[in-house]
Amino acid sequence: MLEEKVKLIFDSAHKAMQEAADSKTLYDCKVKFIGKSGELSLLMKEMGSLPKEQRPEFGKVVNKYKKMLEEHYQVCEQNLKMAELNQQIKDDALDLTLPGPTQDLGSVHPIPMVIDEIVTILSRLGYSVKSGPLIEKEWYNFEALNVPEDHPARDEQDTFYLKPGYVLRTQTSPVQIHTMETEKPPLRVLSPGSVFRCDSDISHSPNFHQIEGLLIDKKVSMADLKGTIYFFVKEFFDKDVKIRFRPSFFPFTEPSAEVDCSCPICKGKGCSMCKQTGWVEIGGCGLVNPKVLSSANIDPDQWQGFAFGFGIERMAIIKYGITDIRLFSDNNSFFLKQFS
Amino acid sequence: MKISLNWLSNYIDVEEFKKDTEQLSVILTSAGLEVDGIEDMAKDLNHVVVGQIKTLDSHPDADKLTLCQVDVGQEGLQQIICGAKNHKAGDRVVVALPGAVLPGNFKIKKSKIRGVESLGMLCSDSELGFAEDSEGIRILPEDAPVGQAFADYSGLDDIVFNLSVTSNRADCLSHLGLARELSCILNRPLKNIENSYEKYNFKTSDTIKVELKDNEKCPRYMALLIKDVKVEESPAWLKSYLKNVDVNSVNNVVDITNYVMLEYGQPMHAFDLKHLEGSQINIQSLTEKTEFVSLDGTKYELDNNELAICDSRKVVALAGIVGGQNSGISESTQNLVLEVAHFKQKPVRKTSRALGIDTDSSYRFSRGTDINEMPSVVARAAHLIEGLCGGKVSGEVIDCYPNKITKKDITVEFAYVSERLGYSINGTEFVGWMKRLGCEVIKQDEASVTVQAPSWRHDIEIKEDLVEEHCRLNGYDKIPETLPPLSYEPLKHDASYLQNKHTYQFFAKQGFHQAVNYNFVNKSTNSEFIGDVQAFKDCGFIVGDQEVLLQNPLSEEYNMMRPSLFASLFKNVLTNYRSGLNSSKIFELGRVFADGETGYKESNHIGLVSWGKTVNLWTQTSSPQVLHLKAVMENFLTSLKAKSWSWKKWDSKVAFMHPARTATLFFQGKNVGYITELHPKIKQDYKIREDVAFAEFNSDLLMQGFPRKPKVTEVSKYPAVERDFSFVVDKAVVSDEIKTFIQKSEKKLIVKVEVIDSYSGEKLPADKHSLTYRVLFQDKEKTLTEDIIKKMHSEILNKVQEKFQ
Repeated sequence: MLEEKVKLIFDSAHKAMQEAADSKTLYDCKVKFIGKSGELSLLMKEMGSLPKEQRPEFGKVVNKYKKMLEEHYQVCEQNLKMAELNQQIKDDALDLTLPGPTQDLGSVHPIPMVIDEIVTILSRLGYSVKSGPLIEKEWYNFEALNVPEDHPARDEQDTFYLKPGYVLRTQTSPVQIHTMETEKPPLRVLSPGSVFRCDSDISHSPNFHQIEGLLIDKKVSMADLKGTIYFFVKEFFDKDVKIRFRPSFFPFTEPSAEVDCSCPICKGKGCSMCKQTGWVEIGGCGLVNPKVLSSANIDPDQWQGFAFGFGIERMAIIKYGITDIRLFSDNNSFFLKQFS
Repeated sequence: MKISLNWLSNYIDVEEFKKDTEQLSVILTSAGLEVDGIEDMAKDLNHVVVGQIKTLDSHPDADKLTLCQVDVGQEGLQQIICGAKNHKAGDRVVVALPGAVLPGNFKIKKSKIRGVESLGMLCSDSELGFAEDSEGIRILPEDAPVGQAFADYSGLDDIVFNLSVTSNRADCLSHLGLARELSCILNRPLKNIENSYEKYNFKTSDTIKVELKDNEKCPRYMALLIKDVKVEESPAWLKSYLKNVDVNSVNNVVDITNYVMLEYGQPMHAFDLKHLEGSQINIQSLTEKTEFVSLDGTKYELDNNELAICDSRKVVALAGIVGGQNSGISESTQNLVLEVAHFKQKPVRKTSRALGIDTDSSYRFSRGTDINEMPSVVARAAHLIEGLCGGKVSGEVIDCYPNKITKKDITVEFAYVSERLGYSINGTEFVGWMKRLGCEVIKQDEASVTVQAPSWRHDIEIKEDLVEEHCRLNGYDKIPETLPPLSYEPLKHDASYLQNKHTYQFFAKQGFHQAVNYNFVNKSTNSEFIGDVQAFKDCGFIVGDQEVLLQNPLSEEYNMMRPSLFASLFKNVLTNYRSGLNSSKIFELGRVFADGETGYKESNHIGLVSWGKTVNLWTQTSSPQVLHLKAVMENFLTSLKAKSWSWKKWDSKVAFMHPARTATLFFQGKNVGYITELHPKIKQDYKIREDVAFAEFNSDLLMQGFPRKPKVTEVSKYPAVERDFSFVVDKAVVSDEIKTFIQKSEKKLIVKVEVIDSYSGEKLPADKHSLTYRVLFQDKEKTLTEDIIKKMHSEILNKVQEKFQ
């Protein structure tokens, strides 16, 4: 009798579990049938009415069914969880073309970017950055660099004047003098930064940027200078770029050279960047004039040097094919973004 | 400097370069004479010839057109229809034959005009590109040879090089000078220049007394009297020589002085004898105020010790710069005095700069002329005047040259040259080049040479100059490339460079675009924005007593050095906003300037600006701009390894700042900058609809001690626990107060306190707001149990309530 009852409970429990549509219902079934005070447990309590010898057998039967139901419960629970997970996955469907909560990228301006590239290249050769004031004593900007007053070379550098004796530096070269005054040779320094000329048109800005390099050592030759410049220019543009030195004149160097490189835009074939010549001018250089060493209290009989200077805008224009110099100072985000 | 190849070929053979201008261009460029442009004067005159109209009839179908049979030489008679009215049979005219391409890409073709064939065009000056406007066709003189190429006939078969001559190479500012340079490079002889003339038996000094009173500024002065000249138009060849190098023709005498200047590089001047009062020429520095009217009629006040050429009463020329209107050559001139002088560079440049007079003459004198060449120049001019103006030249040239100038000896060792160039040179070759340059060899042995530079090379003074000459002439391409060995410790980078790099990399990662602005701004806009600059003292900026003004600004827009980055950044906001960017973020690292008691001061600044709403698909409320900047700035401080700082409300008087939304950053015992929002009034004035926040910091102060090493401590093994706290407090209580209070209440266990909500509104009394904090607890020694946390939680609640509610 009892055994039949067990079977009946088992059957209805099995069915109920099977049919449970969610974890909650299923759990309720578990409580109802095999919980501590579930139907099977209650049935166990009725075991007392059985003769003693039948009791173990009956216990075994109940436990067998209980165990089967427990196993069944596990299976049903597993299935339900799986179904629920599948449902959740379906519900999770997301339009992945929607934008994420992003922050736009910022950018480094091409001027400091180019400066940093140059510094990185030349740091490998032992150069270090030194900076100086933008408002200079006239002496540092001119006389110390062998440009005496009333020298025609001054005409070539349209100068902004401040209080008597002060100018906005027209070149980064005064930093050479400051460095030589404070550091003992031998030395290798770079000085990037703003320079000023009162001259403005489509290709000139009144406030532009240069980087100047200076090396002072016991013996310094044009070959050393050329090797250094060639290394640097090739690293900066690309290995295949052709470079030429052209004689020129700067009061602070002797001999002096202008540096041209084959136009990286047209690879020397001729384009508007290089005015169809295949060459673009990128900077000037030379062996430090002994008068400049003397200005900085360095004995020119003991020490020699070379110096070079490049226009940063010029380098950026050539490297990135920028056509209008005003883009550098307009600071339009549409332009700047391209350097993100 | 314009150099005509035809002209040049009078002094050296350059025939082959007429066909191959590129080759000459390379030669000049490699010698240091940069070629800015090459102009073929005849490029528009191919197939343009001199013709003669043989017969002239009217067009059968058009009254206004004429039908001409024109003899064009080799090709015989050509039928040409012409619409002009100023021609007749027998006239010599300029004929553009089919195939010609006139200026403006005007192609001449065989054509039919109203049914009649026309084989070319008779040209007017405007069609030839000689004039903007012209009436009728050009009629040539009767001696124009029929059939000759018009370019040849008009002297336009020439190629003109535009050279950019560096300021050291004054010797190349003339055709002869350039010929000399080419003679050296190409090892090719110079041709002789004809300069003989008949010396008449009268003395210059009998007519005119020359007194050189200032031989410091004028070491040599030569004068020559020429009588009975006929001043008239110059011959065609002379006019076309001058025209091709852009010099206007005046009259034969003036043209000759210009011609000789462009030939030798030695400026010269001619005075009309009758205007030289007292028959005197005094070369003297002025000692008192004098008025002077130059050739072109401009009046100048002279009072600065200028060197002048005077007669017994007046200034007749500003030495080496410009002649006076009172004594120049005119058609009435009969007798003239030629002046060839050596004026020193500095005084000429000084006067020319001071008066703002820039002439071909002052340009050359201020770069240096050749004192030894002067006698040849005088003779050459005399020769030409005799030939072209029919004068009688005095047999006596006055030559005041009291102290002969000699060049210094320069000695250089060949080993030194090799060492400086980085390749081994040959002594013989070196001396060879020096000789070709015109140097005089004083002494030579196996190891060294002593030379004197030629008189025309003012730039050769020291042995380094000789090194350069050798290097240049031998070719810069001969220099090998070596890398100098590094045998010593490199220096440290300047701190400011490393700081800047850290800073721009940081802000670029935070979504800011870097701006690089001019260091100058407009004074009046700047004061409109800032008001009294002294107010900046309160936020740690350098401040001077005066603004840093430019003496010679390019324009009013940029007339002072900026005391703050604000004006520049605001300009950037306007540019961007007006170009359609309703929201963006920009930063700048730049200098600011002050003029203080101890002189000019500069400091490095960081400026930040952000504007526009930051809402997107996922966040629907926008944070106040100024707090956004503050948050970024705090991350920046963290990146500097800063441990503590605070923001202090600032009742700023600076005009552009929002009075109720401004704070200073207090860091390492000082105010180092500000954060603010743009004043609503300025927003209105500039029609900006978005909120704009600015921040600016003195990075010299902010970044003192950078780079710092991070302080690394051991990480707790026990989990951290979060708890939230909410308080309703008076609005006067600011969030930071409670935050700091909580932090201090349990220093050991509280790792972090942050504000996660702030509310004020309907649900609260008007003077209250609610603030919610999230606190992170962690113990280094043990797991925090629920009991400990509960206890701390209630303690914090009680303490805060006691203190703030």
